[in-house]
Amino acid sequence: MSKDFIQSAGLKLAILAVLFVALPLLLVSLDKGYIYQVVMLALIFSLLAVSLQLVTGIAGLLHLGHAAFYGVGAYIAALAGADYGIGFTLGLPLAGLGAAAIAFVVALPTMRLVSIYFAVATLGIGQMIFLVLQNWVEVTKGPNGVSLFSGIDLFGYTVDSELGIYFVVATIVCISIWVIHRLSHSYYGNALRSLREDDQCADAMGINTVRLKIESFMISSFFAGIAGALWAYTTGYISPVDFDFAESILILAMVVVGGLGSIPGAIIGALLLILLPEALRGVGDMRNIIVGFVLFFSILFLPKGLFGEVPSLNFIRRQFGSAWQDNPDKQKVGWK
Amino acid sequence: MIDPYYLQQLTIGISLGMVYALMAIGFTLIFGVLNVVNFAHGEVYTIGAFAGIMAIAAFGPPFLVIVFIVLAVGALAGFSLERVAFRPFRRFSDEASLKSRAMREATLMSSLAMSIIAREAMELLFGSEFQTIDIGYLINKPISLGPVTIVNGDIIIFVVSVLMLGGLQWLLKYSAIGLSIRAVSNNPLGAKYVGINTDRTIVLTFVIGSMMGALAGILVGLYYGAVFPSMGFIPGVKAFVAMVMGGLSSIPGAVIAALVLGVAESLSTTFVSSVWADMVAYLFLIVTLVFFPQGLFGARRERV
Repeated sequence: MSKDFIQSAGLKLAILAVLFVALPLLLVSLDKGYIYQVVMLALIFSLLAVSLQLVTGIAGLLHLGHAAFYGVGAYIAALAGADYGIGFTLGLPLAGLGAAAIAFVVALPTMRLVSIYFAVATLGIGQMIFLVLQNWVEVTKGPNGVSLFSGIDLFGYTVDSELGIYFVVATIVCISIWVIHRLSHSYYGNALRSLREDDQCADAMGINTVRLKIESFMISSFFAGIAGALWAYTTGYISPVDFDFAESILILAMVVVGGLGSIPGAIIGALLLILLPEALRGVGDMRNIIVGFVLFFSILFLPKGLFGEVPSLNFIRRQFGSAWQDNPDKQKVGWK
Repeated sequence: MIDPYYLQQLTIGISLGMVYALMAIGFTLIFGVLNVVNFAHGEVYTIGAFAGIMAIAAFGPPFLVIVFIVLAVGALAGFSLERVAFRPFRRFSDEASLKSRAMREATLMSSLAMSIIAREAMELLFGSEFQTIDIGYLINKPISLGPVTIVNGDIIIFVVSVLMLGGLQWLLKYSAIGLSIRAVSNNPLGAKYVGINTDRTIVLTFVIGSMMGALAGILVGLYYGAVFPSMGFIPGVKAFVAMVMGGLSSIPGAVIAALVLGVAESLSTTFVSSVWADMVAYLFLIVTLVFFPQGLFGARRERV
């Protein structure tokens, strides 16, 4: 017991230490706005990739419009902040709930579609949301985008230094990823995996497949909306081109490159696809072409991704999952 | 009597629809033989347009020569696309793995990756703005037919598309190649057993589909005078919508759906506004998927 405990706590502590001590120290010592932007972009895209992983990797629904829900969250947070004076504390949950509500409306008719039909429906819906963001000028201000000048207000304190914003973003991203992690490694997550493997069989076993699909789609969109709100508050300016089809593909590429079904994989994929193009910025603006090549070669040579689901599940069992082990102190997992 | 203005819009709609039909056929043929969606089809369209304007810039050939150059480039693009993005994932040739989900998703992603690479490479080479085209080659010279004014491009697009569609029908119905394409799309394993070279048939399907896509690209490029690296995305999506509406494997269905889509789009440009015209295609897509998941002309499918 003790060894596993140290292992598990050790790894969690190491990640938290890097995120909340080492990285901020590095950022302060470098003190460049550009580096802050890259780090926060990487954090936000990690959350986006993990939230897409829940739908695409774990529940097996190929979703080609994730960036649109990210955009909905960003626009709700930015418009609430800029036009109605609603601050971060209320704007953040509002962004998530708004994205989830739209996902619910969209999911009701489309969720009985399967495979490629579902993928195409999400592509169409993503494009429709994008068109609304771009052309409903009275509300979204169209292609000019929305500027948001207020800092992050947290229960009376206003955070507007870059370091402060970094801490807020890192905390929210960590909590969200933790929630998705717990969700996907529970009975609920296993039910979602059963949809991916064979939804007709899952239906026959008594799982309410349509309801589960709608729920996972809503949860995923909720976190995409949260990520959007964080993006709006970190950059202070959003425009529709941040949420077009290319962004959906970028997020999907992160999930595929990291490994479908694996949450650590999605984070690795997000870090790779954000940091690699930034590292190669000297060569020219190659971001999208790098995404294309990385996606292609990873499908060709690593069809299971950099950190696939099976290694990921084994890893989680080893590191975190005392419930799977013979342990008299804990309640066992399994059928009684 | 109908206002001539609406007749004019109707002509534009039919031209648009014909172009979507040319593209949708590429999708439909490929979906027929492989049961996969070729997401790089929009880039074949762009490549066709770029090949055409480069030929014009280099030696200014007559229009018919441009058409043949574009067809050749389209064939080459289709051939290489199949080699790079589809063949590596067809490791097993039994029917179960040919139609498996893993194979469908892998090729979908690889064609998506290829489309990103092609588009970004063109953007690096040519820049992302509109290319300059010799004015003499644009097919938008007005022609008056009584009260209605159309442009010569409407006639050219109509004639070229009808010729291509007729040629395709002839090819599919009466030639050995067409017979093998129909056989493979009906039953890949059975086709293999009776001695049809399925790999060669699949390559030929890509070549034929991409020739049509590339031709659509140059026709639209010269019609609107707008050729740029990301021009293929929206027509690609619309052709895809036409394919879904037509029932995925039905060529006449795809053509009719494409015409409906083109006319609906030009009418919505007239009555609503041009920025919302793209919405019509997506609405059609969702409505089709929700209410007629088999498409309007498709054969019955077990599940969609």
